[in-house]
Amino acid sequence: MTISLFIEQIINGLIIGSMYALVGSGIALIYGTMRVLNLAHGEFYMLGGYLVFLLVVTCGVPAYLAIPIALLAAFLLGALIQRITIHYLLQREGWAFSTIAVTLGLSIFLQNSALLLFGENVQSVPYYVTGIVEFAGIRIPMQRLLILGVAILTIAVMTYVLKATRLGWAIRATSQDRDAAAVVGIPASRIYLITFGIAAALGAIAAAMMAPIYAITPWSGLPILFKGFVVVILGGLGSFPGAIVGGLLLGVVEAVGVQLTSTEWRDVIAFALMIAVIWVRPWGLFGSKS
Amino acid sequence: MAEAPMLQVENLNVLYGDFQILWDVSMTVGAKEVVAVLGPNGSGKSTVLKAIMGLTPVRSGKIIFEGEDLTKVPTHEMVARGISMVLERRRLFGAMTVRENILLGAYHRSVNKDIASRLEWVESLFPILAERRDQIAGRMSGGEQQMVAIARSLMSRPRLLLMDEPYLGLAPKIVSQIAGIIQRINQEGISVVFNEQNVHLSFGVSHRGYLLESGRMMLTGTGEEMIHSDVIRRVYLGV
Amino acid sequence: MFQPLRPWQWLLVAITLAALAVLPLLSSNSYVLHVLILSMIFGIFASAWNLVTGFAGLKTFGHHAFFGIGAYSSALVALHSGLSPWLTIWIAALIATVAGLFIGLPILRIRSMPHVAIVTLGFAEIVRITISNLQSITRGELGLWGIPPFESFTLPVLGEMKFSPADKAGYYYLILVLLVFSTGLITLLMRSKSGLALVAMRDAEDAAESLGVNLTRHKLLVFGVSAFLVGLAGAFFGHYIGILTPSAAVGPDLMILVIAMALVGGLGTLSGPLAGALVLTCVVELLRDLNDLRLLIYGAIIVIVVMFLPKGLATLGPIVRRRFTYLRAPTTSPAKHL
Repeated sequence: MTISLFIEQIINGLIIGSMYALVGSGIALIYGTMRVLNLAHGEFYMLGGYLVFLLVVTCGVPAYLAIPIALLAAFLLGALIQRITIHYLLQREGWAFSTIAVTLGLSIFLQNSALLLFGENVQSVPYYVTGIVEFAGIRIPMQRLLILGVAILTIAVMTYVLKATRLGWAIRATSQDRDAAAVVGIPASRIYLITFGIAAALGAIAAAMMAPIYAITPWSGLPILFKGFVVVILGGLGSFPGAIVGGLLLGVVEAVGVQLTSTEWRDVIAFALMIAVIWVRPWGLFGSKS
Repeated sequence: MAEAPMLQVENLNVLYGDFQILWDVSMTVGAKEVVAVLGPNGSGKSTVLKAIMGLTPVRSGKIIFEGEDLTKVPTHEMVARGISMVLERRRLFGAMTVRENILLGAYHRSVNKDIASRLEWVESLFPILAERRDQIAGRMSGGEQQMVAIARSLMSRPRLLLMDEPYLGLAPKIVSQIAGIIQRINQEGISVVFNEQNVHLSFGVSHRGYLLESGRMMLTGTGEEMIHSDVIRRVYLGV
Repeated sequence: MFQPLRPWQWLLVAITLAALAVLPLLSSNSYVLHVLILSMIFGIFASAWNLVTGFAGLKTFGHHAFFGIGAYSSALVALHSGLSPWLTIWIAALIATVAGLFIGLPILRIRSMPHVAIVTLGFAEIVRITISNLQSITRGELGLWGIPPFESFTLPVLGEMKFSPADKAGYYYLILVLLVFSTGLITLLMRSKSGLALVAMRDAEDAAESLGVNLTRHKLLVFGVSAFLVGLAGAFFGHYIGILTPSAAVGPDLMILVIAMALVGGLGTLSGPLAGALVLTCVVELLRDLNDLRLLIYGAIIVIVVMFLPKGLATLGPIVRRRFTYLRAPTTSPAKHL
């Protein structure tokens, strides 16, 4: 293998990793603010993919319009799901387990609703942009560069929202201390609702960008959920920046790992990395022990 | 009293699961008054303050503030009614800076205006916090954290400030500093309710006190009256 | 919960067992037997998962790994060594136990429930993908077939016990015996010192540790027994069904099914998972025609049970009773004023 091919694989790893980062950061936001492990998170990705497919392929809406519509729909769906399930469970005893169990049920339910609605055929969306960029012998399709660009933009917007807006301050305050946040006038339940919506939308962005290169099926949520889990374990559960770094790292490790073994071992590499990290640093690679 | 007191708590009952914490607790707080809630460990002092603030669900009873029934008002609406609270053990947003913590005190829409003048007022009370504004709150000493917590609670310019164990875990020198701050806050026209285990420490600053034992109000009166009461002696010394 | 049974309870257990024992003599309908056999396989699986999740308080989501390890180990050993399935199911259960201890050790170090959930899910995925990828041994998704059935034998009164698709009576009695064995083992374990320590400390782990009680050893024991029983159920499943694929024997769907069973029956009870397994297996069979809706309904059942029946069907009674006791008014005592 030539050096340029190797670099190409690393760049591809970073690009896929940036999508893992978006999915993982949604899981991290939800866990960070309300300590809920969302097993239905992959379904936001899956439904996001179908929404984009329906809008772009079935209805012929241009992608630059379809993607924002899909995001909004995912946001509303996430918020709705939070309001009718998690919202009530959080007020009861034993919520740590009941929220995991209910999101598991939701995941199966949404997956099979999609199967019923869309059938089991593999769907995909045409490339948003075509062409290949070539530089020093490294060839990267424009579509993949677009993915990276959107990921960087999304992360920048999210960082700005969290650091510099009233909503972001409220999310950070609630995640650090729910009672203290309530005392200064931040309504935790509304913040939870919005956070769930934002997390769902982050999953939908990833789905929209991956739709042209990865197949959309009713089952496409589960593998990406597992990737998201690996990402949050690497980055430290509940940490937004941790999830971003964790996602990129996972993408690169997978790319290198696949070079050394073969494609079908990709997921095993990811899980083995995760279990190793939990063994050595349960609080994540970048977080602190407390 | 001709006028109704600022805060009236009437027959408050609070349960955690099947375990009753407060039994028919009643108390009042007047305008510009400092009231201490006394009692041994586990007597329910903190629960009284949390119940007023809506942090603990109330089984029965009433909380009336300035004529309005606040029993069912959620915690995050309290600052809009003029009540603020300093939680036990400071409870700062540990990963945020001092300035961010203080600004969050004026988060609620009803008080999210004139930020500059609010900040100026609060920092005039705690000049040291202006110097430390960019420090991460979680890395400060206990006394400094308590000042940040109080500063945060004052940003909403409350008329009533609840302080849950303001002296807990602080060095004696810091305790007297905090006591001074309570008096200073009161001079600004703010009523203060705080709880404390140590009777003598409490009456340094408070006008009146209530004594709780096992979730029941046993006694109320001025500091002078209470210090010489037999009930206090029985509760604290077991005689 | 694990007090010795009262006389009427013993009677109930005896009647149930007697009814189950004579059933094949009354009805030779192999479809009815098939549904009951599946119920009992899942009954063992759900009870063993409940042992870890409901009793030991360790919320794992990866027990399907042990089912798959049990199923594939027994099938492969029987295929390649020529050993009888009567022996290989126990070997397979031991292999599952070793795997259980292997993954149990690291997760017992973790205190956070989400971490445990993620790691166990990940472990099961590793097992599934590995079985799927090792096609030269397992034939992957093409399916491992030709798994030898149990050899038949003759019993004095009942006559010949056959193990064939046409005559399922042999399988039926064997899984019934295994179910009784498994339920007995779980009861014994929970009445032992380890079991009592775990139940007492289930919801107060910090308190337990501050008292100097080391729960790790007890938990590891429970985890090992649980993996053993799930492995045994898996091994039986392989020889009964005759063909194994990674998605049917180690797929996440399997775990979801079992979680639904335990939740419906009632987590943390002895009879709950058994009842849940029977109810849901029958529901699946009733919905045979609506095969596409099967998992949809499972998902909905899990959501509804968690939202509205947090303790499952088995404890519906106590919930109703508790509702009423809540209404008791607290006694009053007025404050004394000076």
